Amino acid sequence: MKSAEIKELIINSLSPDKSSEDDWKRLEEAGVTYSFRKDFRDKVLDRIFTTGITINREIEFVRSMNYVFYRIALTGVAAIVILLISIFLMQGSLSFNSFIGLSDSYDESIVCLLTGN
Amino acid sequence: MRMDIELYGSLGENELIKASIDGKKEAFSEIVNRYQTMVARTVKSMLGDSVFAEDIGQEVFIKLYYSLPEFRGEAKLSTYIQKIAVNLTLNEIKRRKRFLSMFSQTGNNEIHEYDVADHDDEERRDARELVGKALMKLEPKFRIILTMRMLQGYSTKETAEILELPLGTVLSRLSRARDQLRNILKKL
Repeated sequence: MKSAEIKELIINSLSPDKSSEDDWKRLEEAGVTYSFRKDFRDKVLDRIFTTGITINREIEFVRSMNYVFYRIALTGVAAIVILLISIFLMQGSLSFNSFIGLSDSYDESIVCLLTGN
Repeated sequence: MRMDIELYGSLGENELIKASIDGKKEAFSEIVNRYQTMVARTVKSMLGDSVFAEDIGQEVFIKLYYSLPEFRGEAKLSTYIQKIAVNLTLNEIKRRKRFLSMFSQTGNNEIHEYDVADHDDEERRDARELVGKALMKLEPKFRIILTMRMLQGYSTKETAEILELPLGTVLSRLSRARDQLRNILKKL
């Protein structure tokens, strides 16, 4: 189809009161076609399904991490509670001194040791 | 695998959608196969025949795949895909304009790419090049109307539905686009 014919066809196909289907087909026959590359479908499917698997793996990893975190956190909390109870039973209080293992009583031997008197 | 392809090839739209939602790769592959030419017409006529257009085409189907569970079947699947294609294409044009406006103060900030593949004979290639060049000289809002009417063969009413514009707006834009295109074609 010559260039002038195509131009005329284009203009005719844009008339608002008529169906452009026939003109569209004629344009396509004249060579006005559009297509993606041959591997287009494979690329789309790869991007969806391969990336999908990666996302699933990431989600599973995050879930596992959460699960591990909760187990570690619960064990830690339990250990802290046991430690507090044992300190309270052994020292009779939960003061700062009892935490660091010092008794409330005044120990002269430490003063002598530090001052040398 | 071959049997699967034949099976899905004979299925209707609704069955393909259901199978795709269930994660059947072959079913979605069939959807891509059926509608890729339609998407190519929209995307390539709007953005030019370039690698970017291929990427946007892929995005259209990826977006479709993830939005299939929300597809209620009130419109035809082709209309739904066409809407995705139009939105992504217009967004891409806006993105390019924004990007180029950072570097250029001139009025027309669009990348015009038109690599016409040379696997056709000269006459067919010329026809495609002529249409491509003419379309690229139009503003995107007119170009999209012409693409829907001229290349996709949609009626004015269908064009209005896909572009989510009032019928009157489509008609006025179509009229202006036709006048502009006539002038452009005279110069080409």
